[in-house]
Amino acid sequence: MYPFGKGFNRFIPLLLLLIPMALYIVFYFGPSILTVIYSFTDVKNLPGSTYQFVGLDNYKDLFFSGNSGERWRSIINTLIFMFVVTIVQNGVALFIAVIINQRLKGDYFYRAVFFLPVVLGVAVVALIWGMMFDPLNGPVNRLYDVLFGYQDMFFGSFTHAFGYIIFVQIWMYMGYSMLIFLAGLQSVPKDLYEAGHIDGTSKWQSFRHITFPLIAPSFTVNMLLSIIGAMSTFDIILATTDGRFNTRTMAYDVYKETFRGSLEMGLPSALSVIQFLIILLFVVVAVRQTRKREVEY
Amino acid sequence: MQNSKTTQILSYGVVFLLLILYVVPLLLVFNVSLKSFNEYLLNPIGIVQNIEWGNYTQAWSEGNFAGYFTNSLIYTVAATGLTIIVSLFAAFPVARGYVMWSGFIYMFFLLSQFLPNPMVAQYKLMLSFKESVSFFGYDTKLGYILLKTTGTGVVFMMFVGYIKSISRDLDEAAGMDGSGYIRYLFQIILPLMKPVIATGVILTAIGVWNDFVGPIMYLPSPANYPITFGLKEFRGQYGNNWPLLACGITIVAAPLIILYTFIQKYLVDGALAGAVKS
Repeated sequence: MYPFGKGFNRFIPLLLLLIPMALYIVFYFGPSILTVIYSFTDVKNLPGSTYQFVGLDNYKDLFFSGNSGERWRSIINTLIFMFVVTIVQNGVALFIAVIINQRLKGDYFYRAVFFLPVVLGVAVVALIWGMMFDPLNGPVNRLYDVLFGYQDMFFGSFTHAFGYIIFVQIWMYMGYSMLIFLAGLQSVPKDLYEAGHIDGTSKWQSFRHITFPLIAPSFTVNMLLSIIGAMSTFDIILATTDGRFNTRTMAYDVYKETFRGSLEMGLPSALSVIQFLIILLFVVVAVRQTRKREVEY
Repeated sequence: MQNSKTTQILSYGVVFLLLILYVVPLLLVFNVSLKSFNEYLLNPIGIVQNIEWGNYTQAWSEGNFAGYFTNSLIYTVAATGLTIIVSLFAAFPVARGYVMWSGFIYMFFLLSQFLPNPMVAQYKLMLSFKESVSFFGYDTKLGYILLKTTGTGVVFMMFVGYIKSISRDLDEAAGMDGSGYIRYLFQIILPLMKPVIATGVILTAIGVWNDFVGPIMYLPSPANYPITFGLKEFRGQYGNNWPLLACGITIVAAPLIILYTFIQKYLVDGALAGAVKS
């Protein structure tokens, strides 16, 4: 029962709810659906222009026009980015979370430091690593020179720039994944380990059979966040190479074609739809895989 | 878990190595920011010999950071405040079932996390807003703030979870005493939600303050630049003058680091609560 009056008062919650609802429909839900519709049209970025449905022409243009080579390169880059970021970031994060969770002295300090890049933001992080990776006077090149007698162009290298971007992305978000794993680890009851210890389990066995199944929910969350994040972020690319030196991904291409490309909006819309389908595919596969491993205690 | 001496030493070793990877870049930036350009060219890595504080005054005035900071502050405060309020407007009736189809509405809002990329149509929409009403949409502060205000995201979901843990009896008691809905939300429920609001404020504020793509797409006038865009422009201007750029980095990062040391505990706990619950 609604306790705050009758008549008009009954509708106040709905009226207030309409504000977030309107924001959502106008700025996110509507544009999202419209983008899907646009992908089948020849819509232009001109105010008041009309558009017609052109079927799958935009999709054909994506893959069978003069630029299709670059398109495939973006898609391959996107997949590399997603796989490497998801696997390395979660692997390192889980490893460090397990280590920190053994009640090391100063654990709060370590967490805070590893999470700091998220607080600093991508503009600051990109500039910090821009200085570290400066080909002329940067410290990392000095280090390479001393260790291997070798110099790199970093963000200016056609073959290596993308790898360095992946590194910065993982450096930036590793702390976030680690925090989520730590939350999972802290919910594992300590007596389970003691029971295991009495039964003579090894460290690896107790991790594999006690810890891992119990933190599977955090694993699912982390997988989802990294897959969706890696597939749809491009701010790190924008802030470091701006897409030069073979560092374009699908998300970057959508931005580039919408914002700085021609007036054709159908093409980037079609690309958004394909991006969405790939995300959906990997999310479904990942959730199925990790859900299987979840247990209750 | 039992820990032998060796595992413990190894653990500290690993954590220490990783700490170096996170702390050393920051220290190097600060070190470079104190060098004169000549000293940097001769000795880019060694510890600074003659401290050049003038770098900071130069960076501050030439980078126009005061203006960018003001803009960032406006965007962050406004979008965060509005996000908290509209999230409450959405979360409370949905959590309580005070509106029809609240289960369906919850799922509809949850969908926001999984929608196709809205960027293309969003951009076109912002441009057409600007065409029809000049004070709103593309390249206006108000348009950007409303774009960044959302009552249906992670904050909404955290709020729904939290409100469900507040007893319904409270609603009935307040209703009995003749309290109206709006007054009840702001005077009773809002204060009870302090912990989850703290988390929501911090998460939203970080997101808005650090937004990099949004300003590039929607705020092209220098008068509207926030600090992230300002830093990007500053870099474009000073190319390889790393002492000056390092000052820029420090000017932007230092307030965040200082603030972060105070709110760090909320943030760490909150990020967890938010992520695991959603």
